[in-house]
Amino acid sequence: MNNDLKLSRRTFLKLTGLTTAYFVVDPPLRNLSVAYAFGDHPQEKPTYTVTKKIPQVCARACECDCNYDVVVGVDQATGLERALTLEGRPEDPVSRGKYCIKALGFVDSMYNPDRLLVSLKRTNPKRGLNEDPGWVKISTEDAVQEIIDKLKKYRPEQMLFASPGDPYSNRLCRSLGVTRTDQRTECFGTHYYLNSLMITNPPNKYYSSTYTVTHSLWGFDYSETKYMLWFGFDSFSKTGKSGILNHIVEGKRNGTKIVAFNPLKTPLADGIIDEWYPIKPGTDLAVTLAMIKIILDEKLYQADFVKDYTDAAALIDTETKMHITDESGKWLAWSTANNKAETLGVCDKPALDGGPYTVDVGGKQVQAVPVLELLKQNVKDCTPEWAEKISEVPGQDISRITKEFAQAAPTVCIPNLKRDPAGPNYANSWRLMHSLNILQALTGSLDHDGGVLFLHGVKIPWLEEVDPIPKPYPEQPKKSIDYRTEYPVTNKIYREKDYSAPGHYGMVGHGLYHSDQVKVVIFKGPHRGLHALIQPQMTEAALEKMDLVADWNMYPDDAAYWCDYILPAPHQYEGGKLDIRQYYPKWPCLVGGAPVQKPPGDCIGWGSIAKKIGLALAPEYWTTDGSNNPEKAIKGNMNDAALQAVGAAKDQDDFINNKNAIWIDKKPYENYKTIREIGYQRPEGRVRLYIDEFVEDNHEGLPKWAERWTSSEGEYKFSLLVTRAGWHMHADPNFIDNPVINMLSNKNHIDCVWVNPEAGKELGLQEGDEVIVTTNPKYMPELPRPIKSKIHLTERMARKDCILLFHGIGHRSKWLKNGVWGYRDGDLIPQKNPKIGKPHDPTGMGWVEDVYVSIKKA
Amino acid sequence: MAEYAILLDTRFCTGCNTCFYKCVQENRLHDVAANGNTRTLVYINDKGMYHHRCMHCLDPVCVANCPKQALTKSEYGPVLWDESLCIKCQTCVEVCPFHIPMFDETQKKIVKCSMCAHRNFAENKDAVPACVEACPTGALTFGERKAIVEQAQKLAADFKLHIYGLEENGGTSLLILTKEDPAAVGYPEVEKKAAAGGGGKSPAVIGGAVAGGAAVVAAAYVGLKKYAERRNQVENDDKK
Repeated sequence: MNNDLKLSRRTFLKLTGLTTAYFVVDPPLRNLSVAYAFGDHPQEKPTYTVTKKIPQVCARACECDCNYDVVVGVDQATGLERALTLEGRPEDPVSRGKYCIKALGFVDSMYNPDRLLVSLKRTNPKRGLNEDPGWVKISTEDAVQEIIDKLKKYRPEQMLFASPGDPYSNRLCRSLGVTRTDQRTECFGTHYYLNSLMITNPPNKYYSSTYTVTHSLWGFDYSETKYMLWFGFDSFSKTGKSGILNHIVEGKRNGTKIVAFNPLKTPLADGIIDEWYPIKPGTDLAVTLAMIKIILDEKLYQADFVKDYTDAAALIDTETKMHITDESGKWLAWSTANNKAETLGVCDKPALDGGPYTVDVGGKQVQAVPVLELLKQNVKDCTPEWAEKISEVPGQDISRITKEFAQAAPTVCIPNLKRDPAGPNYANSWRLMHSLNILQALTGSLDHDGGVLFLHGVKIPWLEEVDPIPKPYPEQPKKSIDYRTEYPVTNKIYREKDYSAPGHYGMVGHGLYHSDQVKVVIFKGPHRGLHALIQPQMTEAALEKMDLVADWNMYPDDAAYWCDYILPAPHQYEGGKLDIRQYYPKWPCLVGGAPVQKPPGDCIGWGSIAKKIGLALAPEYWTTDGSNNPEKAIKGNMNDAALQAVGAAKDQDDFINNKNAIWIDKKPYENYKTIREIGYQRPEGRVRLYIDEFVEDNHEGLPKWAERWTSSEGEYKFSLLVTRAGWHMHADPNFIDNPVINMLSNKNHIDCVWVNPEAGKELGLQEGDEVIVTTNPKYMPELPRPIKSKIHLTERMARKDCILLFHGIGHRSKWLKNGVWGYRDGDLIPQKNPKIGKPHDPTGMGWVEDVYVSIKKA
Repeated sequence: MAEYAILLDTRFCTGCNTCFYKCVQENRLHDVAANGNTRTLVYINDKGMYHHRCMHCLDPVCVANCPKQALTKSEYGPVLWDESLCIKCQTCVEVCPFHIPMFDETQKKIVKCSMCAHRNFAENKDAVPACVEACPTGALTFGERKAIVEQAQKLAADFKLHIYGLEENGGTSLLILTKEDPAAVGYPEVEKKAAAGGGGKSPAVIGGAVAGGAAVVAAAYVGLKKYAERRNQVENDDKK
């Protein structure tokens, strides 16, 4: 930026000339006559006139699901009535009158000329990036019927539905007996499975079918908490999440202390974060283990909570490494009062440490140790100094921060949502998530006002609850194409507890490519999945050999090159909605949304597709009487049932039109009540620190230090960091096909690879140089696809040993005319071979950022 | 009529650019924004958030130099642009010490913040500029300039912040608080002057309210001063 006012001689002469001309033509006092009466100035005239405001709930921009009004009006420039912008709804406890740039972008994407409004059918049988599909238009009804006719030829194990676990996808896949898998592995997988294994034990009484189905039961009380630890929580994507930010900032203004560990200096570190540590990527686990050790050694934990609401006192058999239970399956603890094992909950003065204790289990004498004692032994070597050597976070700071955090308990929290290091970023991230939950349990912050808030007092039922199935669903395929059957910990949850649980997208491309089992792939919006995330080149190669590929999508995006059919999906503002306030569940609350307009063209909703396919192929699960009569099709009135259950309205229409589309019960938060209702051993529910399922799968029941999967080697010395701009969502064309958004990305170097200036200097690179980034072939032996990009040298990259890519900016679709063909971060991230992955991670999640790359000048 | 101003506390700005997109929609600027011409845009710089947007100077150089009075300083704060009077000479683009006005070649328009004057906040006490309404963190606040100045000074003293716009170019109607030196963040280093008396009303406004003689004197003074400054600048340029 040129900071000084500088005029060239030419400009000076131009100004002088203009001024002279002005004084000649217009006398000096002329300017005094152009005063505007207030309101007369053209810029004081409104640019549009509002005709109506329609409540909506954000469903695709992020997990917050903000509630706001879509403002419809007449644009003065065109005279046309359309949705113009948004207006906040202060009564919504999440958004509190705010919205974000992505939600605003959605308003304009309703009118994106590249939107698909008709169904397309391929005429060129050859698929591929360089092939013209030879699209012909077809009515959506005919397209769906043709797809159905083709599906009839395949067995369930030959089909894959790539879709999130929404109620209709679940029912469709379950009724057909086919595998469903989805991209949320990379976003929510590790969080979901650890939360399931430690706390929520699905299905539970608040297990809801929400629109984004994020699977987190909790939100964080950012505005009331006293102390927060952020382990990568402040990714760039968080800079745009208004539903979270408005709470965080209120907390900050109220004095919340925030300590962040992140190799990247994000904008939140500029002003909101109190202490920022540029931690070595993939070493957060070491810091958390040291924190656990300090809390245990110095007895800084909340003893009452630990005793009464966790399994800390439960006994673990030293031989089997499993919880010991009484005949009714209740955990046993060692009574220090009676010197014998008693059922936890009624046990008199249970021991939290010591042992081993000799316990009679079914007539057999076993040696057993309390969970907390095992935890103490587990972390005995994890001193702050040890953690410093691994993480490069000063040990004395780890020690001080831990004590401050514990002293502020229980009004503390460690927000861990989506793709922070506790997400599926590294092979040790499942251990990190386990550690973070233990820290929150030790500080009693789970299910506590000012800490971690649990959803309570409200639920939106699943389809099966309002339209029961007449008989059990058929069995799922014995061998799943995403290898989930080889991961018993997650497979058990998926098959027995929660079919909506995330699938293994980090491996499904590997499965499709390396076998001929699957012949049909049905996508639900692949820009949010296969083509936006891990090694799309492997998925693309696999799709070339499929018999049938169909896609339900708002746009003909990258997947179109491989699709036989594309069915046009409505915009998110073209449907009605009901949502719980999952990400700030302080009070039971429901908010609603109404369609802003009727879906244009020949668009079809996903529920309608699912019903049509279901009625044709498995009618007994899709009609109220088990017939194949469409007139008897299930109604799926889940929203009405949810509203009626809490007395919010008689139905969705009543809720929208007469109840202001919001119902909220602002009663005081009842601490620890939900743990009792949903936790393990319910109805006296507890948080389970020790996870038997990990032991059964030859892993540890408590977290231990483990390295990442990959390591720095030779020229592949840069740890790959991936984040997302606040205005993008995967490679969603709603944003990357928006020229205004693309301009913004360009101005902020979001289309570049970010490199530490010193590292760039050592590589002989200068700002704006084009580089080639390549994954270490040792970890990506098949189908490598290096990326080419300009670099941005920035001090925000605090470390020399990593580079940063922005997620979701690249695409290759020639039908997205406003889009810019940026790089795709996923090209560098290998699909995981399950045989390699399983020893590292019993959840089998994505390890998205567990990658080292090289950079060379292009 | 009260004089208004905006306070930007960059400590709470996350660079989300919701303000930018809200401005685009509010003012229907999609085409010019796609060309890179914006009324407000946040740059995520290394040392903090740089907001490229009109400072609404109390004594605007653009107003003083506009040959057709297409730019005027309203008495309630914003510097406004009248397309019908503009001859597209781009003098304002050249002379603004903050490098703010942009010229869109395709639409032949000056692109510069109007402080959402159309929201009629001078009469509607609940109205605020669109960016202020949209900011998810409340980093932007809006109010009477006197109160905004006091708020900025208190926050600056309490949290050891820099205030940008209090003295730059004689004061502005956008005040910016930064933790780092504003220049390091990306804000132009502009000559500091004592704030203009009377809030820096435009010649046009003054002309409508008081005898024209005073305005002539003021206009002549400003013109001569600018001329002298520019001459010095050109001379300095020639020496380089």
